[in-house]
Amino acid sequence: MLTYWQKRFRTGVLTERPEFDERMKVLRKRLKKGIAKHFAGSLAIRMVDSGSCNACEAECNALSNPYYDLERLGIRFVASPRHADVMLLSGVLTFNMLPHVLDAWEQIPEPKWCITLGDCPVMEAPFTRTFAIEAPAAEHLPITHHIPGCPPSPDRIIEGLLEFLEKLDTVKS
Amino acid sequence: MNESKKRLIARYAVDRGEDFELITRFDDGTIRERVSKEDPRAASIMPRYPAAIWFERKIRDDFGIRFEGAFDQRPLLHHERWPRDLHPMRRDFDVHTVLELSDYRPYRYEAIGGDGVFEVAVGPIHAGIIEPGHFQFSQAGEDMLHQEVRHFYKYRGIEKMLEGKTLAEAAPVVARISGNESVAAQIALARIAEAAAGEEAETGIAARRALLLESERLAHHWTDLGFIPNDAGFAAALAYASARAEEVRRWMAELTGHRFAFDAIASKPRPWNPDQILRRIAGMREAIDWFENWIVGIPSLWDRMDTTGILPRSDALRYGCVGVVARASGVALDVRASEALYTHNGFAIQSEESGDVAARFKVRIAELRHSLELMERFVPLCSEAPFVFTEKGEGAFESFVESSLGELYLAVEMEEGRIRRFFFRDPSFVNWQALHRMMPGNIIADFPLINKSCDLSYAGNDL
Repeated sequence: MLTYWQKRFRTGVLTERPEFDERMKVLRKRLKKGIAKHFAGSLAIRMVDSGSCNACEAECNALSNPYYDLERLGIRFVASPRHADVMLLSGVLTFNMLPHVLDAWEQIPEPKWCITLGDCPVMEAPFTRTFAIEAPAAEHLPITHHIPGCPPSPDRIIEGLLEFLEKLDTVKS
Repeated sequence: MNESKKRLIARYAVDRGEDFELITRFDDGTIRERVSKEDPRAASIMPRYPAAIWFERKIRDDFGIRFEGAFDQRPLLHHERWPRDLHPMRRDFDVHTVLELSDYRPYRYEAIGGDGVFEVAVGPIHAGIIEPGHFQFSQAGEDMLHQEVRHFYKYRGIEKMLEGKTLAEAAPVVARISGNESVAAQIALARIAEAAAGEEAETGIAARRALLLESERLAHHWTDLGFIPNDAGFAAALAYASARAEEVRRWMAELTGHRFAFDAIASKPRPWNPDQILRRIAGMREAIDWFENWIVGIPSLWDRMDTTGILPRSDALRYGCVGVVARASGVALDVRASEALYTHNGFAIQSEESGDVAARFKVRIAELRHSLELMERFVPLCSEAPFVFTEKGEGAFESFVESSLGELYLAVEMEEGRIRRFFFRDPSFVNWQALHRMMPGNIIADFPLINKSCDLSYAGNDL
């Protein structure tokens, strides 16, 4: 473990993309403010994959890597829907997942919001609708906000969450 | 254990109008049988080849073919609320059919009975940012007696979706079957197109593809090298390895314009700077050396990984396992070993013998380092020649690619330049079936660790 701390002290804090870091700084400030205002400083997200290719999940996981470190902004991905404020829904909402997605949504206490992530839940990914696909998700759930992309990159997801918070200034659950 | 037994790669059916054709692909050839439509029945090979269980259950759901002698007749893709007697892969089934939820028919999980034995149901939605799937455990206290994997929650009907499309039209869908192995799937499709046109990729194109395929492997192996220790409670490894995975994603974006290289194989190569890539590869070689040197010195981590989740070599062979799962159990199986580009550039199969979590972890470290060596040799060979899908093609074609998850098998039948049957065997489709062999003798708290060490895909498996 000593090796690790030696490396940690020798490396220090790195700034690799100044323009990106600047943008993140501004975003972070606004995000923190929005989360403080609407969610008492902590926004809990239950991510539900309803039939994605796993790239959206990989990008959400990337939000926790040291480059983005989302948790410092007060955003947490939670295990139980009962602890969540927001359901973040990815994937094409398959016939086999539909009952489980609706179940998870029901378990989230009010007030709650659903955000769709990536092109799949709005049927803008290259998949054409088949018997096994139930998307667009808006036919089954009230969607407050959509974050487009295939998949949306981690910085795009952060921006999308910010847009959602700004929307809350005008729309209520 | 008879080791000379052949390996089952895939078993699937095709609707021929008059009757069905049942196709079984072994490593030494293909067997074709006719199955009548009036009375669709065939002989099961489940008792000899355990990985045939899911293949045959899938065929039954897709076509309504019954297997005689099959000890497992439960539905696979068709969950509790599926309409009865509906077989979507038959030619007369319309892909746009809107399904109505039928009455609830409970699924009978495999369970072990006995005094004090209880079941634990996990999923389909898991704690964390993961794909959906269901695991059913039979427990005696903390000890796992048995575990059943139940999947196909993400079943999107991709095989049917692609019928009637040209290869170029299918390409964006194929790139998104599974984000874990997008490059591999794209290469598999490109090889189908080349086989249909009677051509072979020139070295420059093949080298550029291989460079992207190895980049994808780097991203995945780094992610696993972080998540495996994280599941054993050692979060520092995840912080380090996830940052390296992020760096690989950014190279891929520089090389292809996309962090996962979606649609990259079929698009015009972007201008790139080989020297910069070589510098990054050199930097990453230092990173993996440092990581290995650090991680081998964490005894509490190895205490969790050593002897945990052992897959004996005999089971790996019996189930026809592929990828890191097979190689960590001493099975020297890698598609790259049969490709000239790789063998001419010093490719060597990386394997371990012990078949436990530690072995899979060590194989990933060795492969990551070896991929970097190979990439250094591929960089000067790459050309910027574009690849274009031809509209030609008549007949049946197949391709194999070694994705980061293992051997990917794609078989496509073409008719007048359009897809007649699309069959995709994800490497995880066989590996998932062997997962339960790793559980007995382990405690349930080690399940996430064992599962992560195998890094299996749900999306590619479910299609």
